[in-house]
Amino acid sequence: MDIIGAQLVNGVSYGLLLFVITCGLALVFGILGVLNLAHGSLYMIGAYIAYSVTVNSTENFWIALIIAPIAVALLSLLIETTLLRLTYHLGHLSQVLLTFGLAYVFHDLASMVWGSNVLTVALPPSLSGTTTLFNQNFPTYRLVVIGIGLVLAAALWFIQEKTRWGAIIRAGLCDKEMISALGINIKLVLTIVFIIGGFLAGFGGVIAAPILGLYPSMEFQTLILALVVLVIGGLGSIAGTFAASILIGLVETFSKYLMPELSLFLVFGLMAVILVVKPNGLLGKKVA
Amino acid sequence: MKGNHSIKFLFIFLLMALSPFFLSLFHLNLLIEILILGIFALSLNLLVGYTGLVSLGHAAFFGIGAYASGIVAKELSPNLIATLPVSLLVSILVSSIIGMFCMKVSGFYFLMLTLAFSQMIYSFIHQSTDLTGGTNGLSGIPSPQLGGVDFSNPVFLYYLILLIFAAVFTGLSVLVRSPFGQVLIGIRENETRMKSMGYNTTLYKYSSFIIAGALGGVAGSLYTNFNGFISPSDVYWTMSGSVLIMVIIGGAGTMAGPVLGAGLIVILETIVSSYTNMWMLIIGVIFILFVVFFPKGIVGIGNSLVNNLAKSKPLYNESKPEAVYKKDA
Amino acid sequence: MNKNVLITLITACLLFLGACGNSAIQSTSGTNEKTESSSGGNESIKIGALLPNSGVYASLGKNLNRGMELYFEEINWEVEGKKIEIINEDSEADPQVSLRKTRKLIEQDNIDILTGTVSTAVAYAIRDEVDSKRMPFLVSHAGGNDLTRSKRSDYIWRSSFSSWQIGNSMGEWAYENVGKKIYLTAADYAFGKEVSAAFKEAYTAAGGKIAGEVYPPLENNDYSSYLTTISGSDADAVYAFFAGSDAVRFVQQYEQYGVKEKMPLIGSGWLVSEDLRASQGNASEGTLAATFWDYNLQTDENKKFVTAYEKKYGERPTLESLEGYDAARIIAEAVKSLKGDVSDSKKVVDAFSEVNFQSPRGEFKFDKETHHVIQDMYITKAKLVDGKSENEVIGTVKQVKDPGK
Repeated sequence: MDIIGAQLVNGVSYGLLLFVITCGLALVFGILGVLNLAHGSLYMIGAYIAYSVTVNSTENFWIALIIAPIAVALLSLLIETTLLRLTYHLGHLSQVLLTFGLAYVFHDLASMVWGSNVLTVALPPSLSGTTTLFNQNFPTYRLVVIGIGLVLAAALWFIQEKTRWGAIIRAGLCDKEMISALGINIKLVLTIVFIIGGFLAGFGGVIAAPILGLYPSMEFQTLILALVVLVIGGLGSIAGTFAASILIGLVETFSKYLMPELSLFLVFGLMAVILVVKPNGLLGKKVA
Repeated sequence: MKGNHSIKFLFIFLLMALSPFFLSLFHLNLLIEILILGIFALSLNLLVGYTGLVSLGHAAFFGIGAYASGIVAKELSPNLIATLPVSLLVSILVSSIIGMFCMKVSGFYFLMLTLAFSQMIYSFIHQSTDLTGGTNGLSGIPSPQLGGVDFSNPVFLYYLILLIFAAVFTGLSVLVRSPFGQVLIGIRENETRMKSMGYNTTLYKYSSFIIAGALGGVAGSLYTNFNGFISPSDVYWTMSGSVLIMVIIGGAGTMAGPVLGAGLIVILETIVSSYTNMWMLIIGVIFILFVVFFPKGIVGIGNSLVNNLAKSKPLYNESKPEAVYKKDA
Repeated sequence: MNKNVLITLITACLLFLGACGNSAIQSTSGTNEKTESSSGGNESIKIGALLPNSGVYASLGKNLNRGMELYFEEINWEVEGKKIEIINEDSEADPQVSLRKTRKLIEQDNIDILTGTVSTAVAYAIRDEVDSKRMPFLVSHAGGNDLTRSKRSDYIWRSSFSSWQIGNSMGEWAYENVGKKIYLTAADYAFGKEVSAAFKEAYTAAGGKIAGEVYPPLENNDYSSYLTTISGSDADAVYAFFAGSDAVRFVQQYEQYGVKEKMPLIGSGWLVSEDLRASQGNASEGTLAATFWDYNLQTDENKKFVTAYEKKYGERPTLESLEGYDAARIIAEAVKSLKGDVSDSKKVVDAFSEVNFQSPRGEFKFDKETHHVIQDMYITKAKLVDGKSENEVIGTVKQVKDPGK
């Protein structure tokens, strides 16, 4: 019984880590309708900045938690205003090409600045201990990630559902013309949403770096995982992304435990089954 | 107009036919690769450019064709009469199964569902070490034969692939101009309208998906025959991504575009990476420049050049096929 | 309109490409042998280095290159009065790209000797091309067993290791020194499977029992689930094969989940390699590994190599640096014995087979039967020295020779 409990904790922790990584992508896709293939790269830059900030002192992790997301948000501001804005009228294919091009550029820039060795971000002593649950040692940080994921999900849900900003954003998703007719600067809304997406990507990078590490091509691996979570959850729904993250976390963990040779297959199989049964994802709205 | 086109087409064909006489072996091999990937990009273009279905899983069919060819060549016979049809059949079979599911979704979800299926096929190939060689790939595939001719000589192989390429190119050109092709274009422009006009759009999309998959399989089969090798990295989603980029950069919804896109990407990847390790940076910047300055792809650049040169001429713009569709409707 | 564009572009491309080199017809109508442009006179000896300079294996490629450059610099880039020239091509660790680059190196650059490839898939992919072009190919990293077994070629020689050597060397040693029952885990790809199979064979032959096996996918993010399973088993120890970022995550999580307290971790040298231990921190302490070279190997040759390398690059050499260094030396020795005439590829590979010298890793010699290196394997243990993790050589398995089938 203990082993099931321990695996349950593993699954929930991994799932919430996925949520922290994916929520920025989900927000940007849900509202801007832009499939940001550079999301993984923004995540990576957040992680590398965290590495640079903490390399001399692990206590700087707290500083990294503020600096890295802000730096990535600024970078997103630059991307949105100089490049992405040009593609809103060009459609999905151009955005795919643009953000993929950006991903390539950031890939080489990162290896120029930080090299191609495998790196890790060390945690401050207060987070690096172990905690025993179900007769099994867990790194305390894994449990902290559960907390962070839950708080983040609650905050995003609150903003989207209960505040004026959330209302504007939700309206923007449904009808861009109507929003501008109400006298709200839709351009500004899009820019701000993209910045928040970047901020969350950078934040995800810092949170995930101590667990997943930093290595060349990490961004593409993260991207594909984030896309799967996004799709299973359904587009434009934070609640859906949350549910999908937990679901994938649990399915992956238990498949590794019960039938390890299938685990590679299973996540994509799950995605295919959900899309065939529920073509708009778990909790998604219809987006063309 | 029509005659003019045939002359140009003949000119290109002649130029290509004479290539082995003035290209070095390395460049000829590069050209072979461009032709094969050109077929692959053309097949995806039928979906993306003409039917409006953006797939991120097209490498699945390439891989299936490639592995089917490789396995047949190793286990049964390297004769093209055996390898090509088997690849074609297997990829038709798989694309008709995957297509059945993919027709249930649209837009972005279609993109992701194709990705899901192709990744499942990738993991199957990756795991079935006994059949496919797993991560090490399938190697030691004998060079292709046809009748008594051994195609280990790249010049012969070049002519063979050039012929197949010409056949596929012509076939697809005829197809997209045919009533069938016009319905596909109609679906791309406005599916609801085509439905209300009484077309069974799902059936049309499904056929387009199968044709694209079958031709993707042919490209894969040729790739194996050319390289004598196939590895799982050619079934991975990055391969689907790069063929999609070939289509977009070349110009989706045109016949020449995908081929030029394939050429540009292969040449860029080969030449740039010989001079610098920062080739991804350069290629990335080129992608971005395309989006900003030439959103219609290479064909778009060419067209605007031609248009500028001949501003006074009335335009018959064949890169905008919906004009034709409206005429029919 | 499209056709106009097509014509101009294609014509331009073809003319551009045609401007250089012999035509394909000329090259293929003759024999298939490599073009003998560099046979006589004072021309340089061209070495094609096909290594990953980008992607996941970029750091391995960089270190292999650095090792080669260090050796050639020591001999002033000159053998028998001939200049040594390295032509670098990025393999991108992608088999198809590598095949394309191999063709370029052989057909366009007229190289005399090919070396490199980190990925085994790449080595297998170019095997037939190299064999049919009769290009001497010195494999300086890729360790897939079949390269010197069923895919053996007259022209392919391997100076690095085979997965069998890595796994087999630790089997008996682990049974005698670590424990009687072991849990086996390895990254789910050909190399990981080959190494763990070789270990399992030797370990069970010595009398050991396998408590269980699990193969996580390559580039796996999270080992928590596997570690929970492993820690619930009754094994005495865990044998693991992981490399690169997988190794960092596995070794760290192995400690974090408290498995290290219960079962010692053993594996291959890549689990705690020179370039990873800094990232792994103290988690690597106590890990036992089998390898064919270590930074702390106390021989004169190794001390000299390490000092020179650190002086030139300001960082520690890795296993791959050593592989590059040795590959350069083997090529230089072979060229020397041929008095600088590398026009006959058969003679070049014959010269390879005779190469014998004291390498930083110990005595270097080839098995003429299998074309594969015979070498001592070392067992290392990671210890904390001044708060930093260091490997110490605690055992030697003498003269490990790949069976070749």
